[in-house]
Amino acid sequence: MSLPASAGATSEPLIELRGLSKRFGARPALESLDLTVHRGDIYGLLGHNGAGKSTAIGLMLGQVWPTAGTARICGHDVHRDRRRALARVGAIFETPAFYDYLSGWRNLEIFSQYTAVTPAARLREVADWVGLSARIHSRVRTYSHGMRARLALAQALLPQPELLILDEPAGGLDPEGIHELRQTLLRLHAELGLTLLLSSHLLSEVEQLCTRIAVLRQGRKVFEGTLAEVRQASNWVRLGTRDFAAAARRLQEAGLVRQVRDGAYLQPAPGVEPDVLVRRLVDWGMPVYEIARAQQTLEAFYLTLMHPGTGSRPAPVPDVGS
Amino acid sequence: MNRPTPSPGSAPARLTGFGRLLRNELWKLFGKKRTYIGFVMFLLAQNLIALVFKLTRASAPMQRLLESAGHTAEAYLSVLTIATIMLVPVAAFLLPLYVALVGGDLVAKEAEDGTLRMILARPVSRVRLLAVKWVAGALFGMSLCLALGVFGLAFARLYFPWGGLFVWMPEQGIFGVFDGAAGLARYLAAHAMLVTEAVSILGLAFMFSCFNVKPAAATILGLSVIFVSFILEHIPYFAEYRDWFLTWHLHLWQYMFAERVPWWRVGQSLSLLVGFNATFFAVGLAVFHARDIKT
Repeated sequence: MSLPASAGATSEPLIELRGLSKRFGARPALESLDLTVHRGDIYGLLGHNGAGKSTAIGLMLGQVWPTAGTARICGHDVHRDRRRALARVGAIFETPAFYDYLSGWRNLEIFSQYTAVTPAARLREVADWVGLSARIHSRVRTYSHGMRARLALAQALLPQPELLILDEPAGGLDPEGIHELRQTLLRLHAELGLTLLLSSHLLSEVEQLCTRIAVLRQGRKVFEGTLAEVRQASNWVRLGTRDFAAAARRLQEAGLVRQVRDGAYLQPAPGVEPDVLVRRLVDWGMPVYEIARAQQTLEAFYLTLMHPGTGSRPAPVPDVGS
Repeated sequence: MNRPTPSPGSAPARLTGFGRLLRNELWKLFGKKRTYIGFVMFLLAQNLIALVFKLTRASAPMQRLLESAGHTAEAYLSVLTIATIMLVPVAAFLLPLYVALVGGDLVAKEAEDGTLRMILARPVSRVRLLAVKWVAGALFGMSLCLALGVFGLAFARLYFPWGGLFVWMPEQGIFGVFDGAAGLARYLAAHAMLVTEAVSILGLAFMFSCFNVKPAAATILGLSVIFVSFILEHIPYFAEYRDWFLTWHLHLWQYMFAERVPWWRVGQSLSLLVGFNATFFAVGLAVFHARDIKT
């Protein structure tokens, strides 16, 4: 592994999308997308089917022409100078397609030559790294789904990429395959210092892998930030006190709390910070053992974004005070 | 994982960038079984024709024609004559079919299978990609013409002796009688000219293959244009416009059998075929360049 290990993100942007829009006929697929992926990021692109994730990836790879805006990859406009922009980029798609009638080795040779001269030693090295050495000379049509996924990874790694773009990489994999893929991606990030951008439906995968995410809804970006920001985005606080029900009732009567749930959580009224709640409870002679902002799961956050106006949890919670 | 430097003598280093991509295309093209359908069908059709001539009295009219012109029929009921007779239906029907099949596949099949998206995730330009594919297709067309010529001679030799060449193509007004050496030269020249037919039909199907259509649709569209052109060319009222029809210029190979080859007409058609092919490629490229490649 020759590239310097650099698991942390730096300020150097490898992907810069500015005002990127795409319409297919009258239908807008992506609207004025601004997005920046820095070197060292593991960046997750989330959204429902048809949200524009694959279109955004197609635009990043110069496969789709933008209606407006620019896509700069590794510092170069991919639609004007794709040779330089994609020279150190690898890509993996949900259903990796190969020439099934040829061997894995021949497929690697074919795909790699579109980037640069690739010596046999390099092919062997990559095949070995992904664990395909034993079957690399077999025809791809004899490969299992997992082996095809590893071959897809091998072809993506051949140009010695700095940036790996993965469109729904876990699609069709079984739980063991998903685990293996996650470990591989983490290894690529840690050992080779690769910057990763992946689109996925699997929120748990994104939560375990990504450092930053963007959420797309109907072609528009509705969130971009770190997972830490996602977790802190909750407006619920967990309160530890002797009689939670009584404390919650009095806080609601005082107009300081909007909702209560699960016998431990409060949603303060707008503009009310936890310190105000603590001061009031202490004034009322109610002990406060613990108060902390509730950590939000990515799933809850995602659903909030997908269904705006329904609060951070989709299901209504009974009000303790009523 | 280091990036090893290629040694100067290694296979990839010996080839230019275009050469490497061309080798890729040839691997892809000749790695597929369907690429060989044309070769197999030539083999079967030519064997069948040779056997019919051997086992029936199908050669009787030809013998009468030769004798009425003062020639000894036996001297011309030969390998070259039978191979040339085989050539006519194969060049008219089978060759267009199989080159259109491959031409229609070149881009559309990759788009359908998803490999085009994998390729276009790489820093290769669409112009270069299409150019390489077209050249690979042209090489396929050449190999098909070569096979047609070699198979024709080989299978005719199984049943007939070596001798002179007799050709009768009434539509072109060709009645040619040649000795063995001259006949072989004409036979080879005809196959060289047949390449223009193969490449042009392939180029036409290739153009449609660049559109967002299924491979079969590209093949059918290509063949449809050929059939329509052929029909229009044969409507007597359109005789003065036949220079405009592509198929009119695809018969060049037949003129190689004329007693005196009309080189002016050959040159005229060749230059027009270059124009037709350049147009097909330019249209295909314009369409392909503007396309969004998605799953």
